Amino acid sequence: MSLHYASNDWYPVADAACLARGPRKTRLLGTDLEVLGPFDHPVVTDMGGRCFPVQVRYNHLWTTIGDDPRPLFDIPEADEPGRRHVPCGVVRVKCSPLRAVENFLDIAHFPFVHTGILGAEPHTEVAAYKAEIREDVDEVWATNISFYQPQAAKSAAGGITTRYEYRVPAPTAAVLYKTCPPRPEAMDVIAIFVQPRSETDCDVWPWMALYDDTTNFADLAQFQQEIFLQDRSILENQRPVKLPLDPKLEIPTRADMTSIAYRRWLKRRGAYYGALTDQT
Amino acid sequence: MPSMPVGLSRDLPPKRVMRASVGGQDIVVWRASNGDIAAWDNRCPHRGMALSHGFVRGNALACLYHGWHYEQSGRCSYIPAHPDLDPPATIHTTRFGVTERDGVIWVDTTDTAKPGMLTEPLDPLRSLIAEVSEAAVEAACHSTPFEGEMPQPSGSGLYALGTIRLALLTNPLGPNRTQVTVLTSPGLSLQTRLALSRWCETLRRNAEATGTGGA
Repeated sequence: MSLHYASNDWYPVADAACLARGPRKTRLLGTDLEVLGPFDHPVVTDMGGRCFPVQVRYNHLWTTIGDDPRPLFDIPEADEPGRRHVPCGVVRVKCSPLRAVENFLDIAHFPFVHTGILGAEPHTEVAAYKAEIREDVDEVWATNISFYQPQAAKSAAGGITTRYEYRVPAPTAAVLYKTCPPRPEAMDVIAIFVQPRSETDCDVWPWMALYDDTTNFADLAQFQQEIFLQDRSILENQRPVKLPLDPKLEIPTRADMTSIAYRRWLKRRGAYYGALTDQT
Repeated sequence: MPSMPVGLSRDLPPKRVMRASVGGQDIVVWRASNGDIAAWDNRCPHRGMALSHGFVRGNALACLYHGWHYEQSGRCSYIPAHPDLDPPATIHTTRFGVTERDGVIWVDTTDTAKPGMLTEPLDPLRSLIAEVSEAAVEAACHSTPFEGEMPQPSGSGLYALGTIRLALLTNPLGPNRTQVTVLTSPGLSLQTRLALSRWCETLRRNAEATGTGGA
């Protein structure tokens, strides 16, 4: 029952900027929803008028349509003083929500898809790193990653070798910690929160918590939007559309350790919404 | 599935990549720097990305997603994330039969490609896609005049347009979508070829108008 499992997670369905423009008609896990503002007192209903629980976290409005929801994951860095929170709007992608998350966890594509920004030839090598399922928290983590980036962030003055860590706290969310160019001792936080409209169609809400007090908001959001539009050209051209969990269907290498752990973790939890399984 | 015409050789110069379809199979066709042609399942075995978005480096096709290189044989020859690795022979694309004759590219998804034999020498004119059935394209060919005269069927899929001979090779892409490869008598003037190319556009419009109305 992939839908049953998925229905008990929380998902973003709006941010303050989109609700300020009026009610948002949207879709979550195949259910049509209407989201009404104001952002601090929102209401989420289906077309039959049934109300769903809401909470505001990480500058987004979250809801769940399940009967027995798991708690929304915590991002402790969100509460750290000095970080600037940047909701980056929404990007509609015709792909499996799980493929969107997996792409976010991948660094080997940077030189080819984000050429001149997050990567550039000949700096294509992915050095060995550590990827694991952390049993104590039941999350996927990838650590000890470093990669050369020509323009790692809006605040970067030139090419640097960036350190990365990834965390997957829920099947449709991923958090990235990366070197903060103006403060090399600190890590910027960049996350994607994926709203699965269906198994093959999603809205992606990028969000950042940065140490950058100089770049204006529009430029920060624009930088992230550009990256995601480049990713969309990949995500809408993968076949099969659903993410295969059988390792025989798509051949990985060492650079795909995070993806391997992610697929294994999804399979283990039965998080099959958006996945290609023996049953589908 | 028999061999199907998927486009013109001259529309695929060296280092170019194109997307094709035969019997519902999504296909990438590409030409290496050395002129060799290959047709594969349009899918990188690594992460399923459409190889038709890729790019040619030397005599290999590189996937746009992670830059994995595949040589003519379909075997993966280079993985940029691991520059020192010799990729295992098990990593390869799914290959299809492809051959060129009379300036037309033929693909066969089940066997070696065997091009349709033309009963007389013809030159390639153009390739186009009509949003109608194969039958509707052929019907429209009978009723679309060229310079005031109706094309006359003259056997083996050939038509006579006055003194000009013309062949329509069709590749059904769906119930209401047909790829049409058009060949004509050799040695026509540029002006005549342009007029025939415009006639092809009219043929498509007529086929789409009647095909939609009759469906």
